[in-house]
This record gives sequence, C-alpha cells and structure tokens, in this order.
Amino acid sequence: MKFARNKKGQFIVIAVLMIALMIIALSVTIFGMRTYYKQEQWEEYMTLIEQVKLNTGDVVDISLAAYTEDNNTIILNDNLNRWQKDLGKAHPGHGIILTYESADDVVQAYGTSIDYDQGLARQWNESTSFSAANTTITLNITSIGLEGYRFVVTSFLNLTILSVDPSSKVINATVFREDGVPVTELKKENFQVENVSITSVTSYYDQQHMLVYTIRCDDLELSNATLTVWDQRGIKVVSKT
Amino acid sequence: MSLKNNTTGQMRVIEAIISAFIILSAITFVNVYSVLPSSQEYETSDLEKMGYNILHDLDESGILVQFVYGTQTDRENLMPTLLLFFPPDLYFDLGIYEVLENGTLSIVNQDYPIRFGAPEVFQESNSTVSVSYILPGHQAQYDPRILILQLVRG
Repeated sequence: MKFARNKKGQFIVIAVLMIALMIIALSVTIFGMRTYYKQEQWEEYMTLIEQVKLNTGDVVDISLAAYTEDNNTIILNDNLNRWQKDLGKAHPGHGIILTYESADDVVQAYGTSIDYDQGLARQWNESTSFSAANTTITLNITSIGLEGYRFVVTSFLNLTILSVDPSSKVINATVFREDGVPVTELKKENFQVENVSITSVTSYYDQQHMLVYTIRCDDLELSNATLTVWDQRGIKVVSKT
Repeated sequence: MSLKNNTTGQMRVIEAIISAFIILSAITFVNVYSVLPSSQEYETSDLEKMGYNILHDLDESGILVQFVYGTQTDRENLMPTLLLFFPPDLYFDLGIYEVLENGTLSIVNQDYPIRFGAPEVFQESNSTVSVSYILPGHQAQYDPRILILQLVRG
C-alpha cells in the first residue's frame, strides 16, 4: 500500500489550528468583558422605588389608624415629615428626597364624596360610614437621576350595615377597603356593638355584596345599633342605623 | 459503466474533515473543561436583589411587621423563617434597629442575633452584601425600624 506523499493542505491544517486558538482566546476575552462591565439595569432601581411606595402606604395607613382613634388631623403630615428624614437614614447615599401634598378638598372616590382635611377624612354614625386618607407623593432619587416620580397613596375603610334583626339578634354588614376590595379574615375581636356583647362573627359570600359579615349578639333589643369595626391595619369606622 | 480511478482531491477531503474535527474538539474542550471565574460584580448584585426581594415579599404579605414588632419570641422565629427563603449555601445576619429621637440607631436584637453562619464569615469575606430596609410602624403607631441584612455566599 503506497501513500501519496502529498504536502498540499498542510498549511490549511495549521491555519485551522490557529483559528481554533483564536476562537478560544476571543471567547475568554468576551466573557471577561461581559462580566466586568455590568450593564446598569432599571429593574434594580425599581426594587428601591417599590419599597418606598409600599412603606409610604404603610405610613398613610398608620396615620389614618391614629386619626380614627384620637381625631388628630395633623398626624398624617407629622408622620410624613418624620418619614422623609427616616428614609434618608435607611438608604444613605441614594439621595432619596420625598415630598408630599395631602388632599385638602372634596374628592369623588369609591362612589362617594370625601371631604379631606390635611389628607384625612371620616364620615361616621351613618349606615354607610368610612374613614379615608389621601396624599400625593413626589419622589426624587438623585443617585440615579430620577426626578418628579409622582404617585398617589390612599387608604380607605368602609363599613355598611345591611340589616339589623332584633328577633335573631343578628347584624349583617360589609367591610371594604380601597378599590372596593372586601376585607377578609375579620374576627369577633375586630367588631364591637355598643352596649352589647358579640357572641360570634361569621362571613358568607354574596353575589351582590361579595362578602357579608354576620355578627351575632347576646342581646339586641333595639332595631338600631352602633357597630364599630377595626381592620388589620388598626383603622376604625363607626356605623349606626 | 466504469468508474474513473481519479485520486486527485482525496487528501483535500481528508484534510477538510480533520480540520472540522479539530475546530469542534477545541470548542468542546473549552466548554467542558474550562472553569470560568465567578464575577464579583454579578455576585454582589445578585445577592442584593435576593435580599431586597425577600424582605419586600415578607413585608408585602404582612409577615415581616408581625415578626419585627412582635415579642422577643416572634423575633427569634424570624431566623427559621428566613432560612426557608434563602438557599442553604447563603449566610445571613439581620440586625433590627430602632430610630431614637436624637436620630441615632439603636439595635433591638443585640441579645439574640438573627444569624445563620459564624460572625467571622461576614468580616473576612470580600463579597459581603448589605441590604437596608425600613418599616415605618405598626397599627396606629409610627415607630420606624431599620433592618440591615448582610449576605455572603458560603
């Protein structure tokens, strides 16, 4: 068997080997570049912004809960002033500047007119009663060049007495929060009926009212009753038939 | 029908096949046997995101507030809860600070650290990440607490 002594193609093999080496070197270099120069992503700052929005909502909830307990109309502005400073302590170096403008006139919302005073409002002792808070926040984060990011923070609790039945000693009522969302998981401790002890609180789903609470009392002589509710945030509403 | 006994070009074909084989082997070798170095930039960024997301999710579900503003037993239960969320090779140390009236911070859980991992791990590692999160208060009380969460990969 005789092999042809052919030297053609030797350079092709050498060239291919060099190309393979170049591919390896280029891959390593590109990987190093990609991992060293990390691209800034807007999603990273959205986490911070979402946190500020969520916790500012908590400040408004806390302020409304305090207002419904002691009728302090300046509590929302006071808490927001303190929140401005505490945000800077929690995130030093980010340059977070938060300003607010609390609602101070009549606003149509949730199917009713709400007359705000320094961001707070309440309408009690009616069959449909509510407590509400409303403020507009402007957020600047100088470290990322964010300026004028506005969002509205509201807090709302509505209590409606649907019916009072003295014979069965039962009050039916609905409890809603912002955007018409029914408040769930309310227990006996969340309700109070004036001059009467509550024996049990149950709930059922209704096509018209979504979620109805049935409050059973040990004594309910009168056809009218004063019902108080506190939701999980501590916000209070008092309704009367 | 007779086949032409033409041997020209046979070596070219063989060389082309060998060339293709060499290129494929080189690429396969790089992918299979290379150990790529981890990037410190990506590592700290991923840990920051993870820490933020977990604290945010716990806060959004209302669980974090109950732990932080609850009793000492509630705060001690925060450690096993965080263990469920973090991967097993991740060490964490959570400090809860209250904001005093003079503006300084005072640690609340000094006597019962909420920590997974030896304290030296956080001091010696050069990939330790610190995430801060603030809670404004609970129920009708404005009582801010700042959470400082340190994370490091084990």
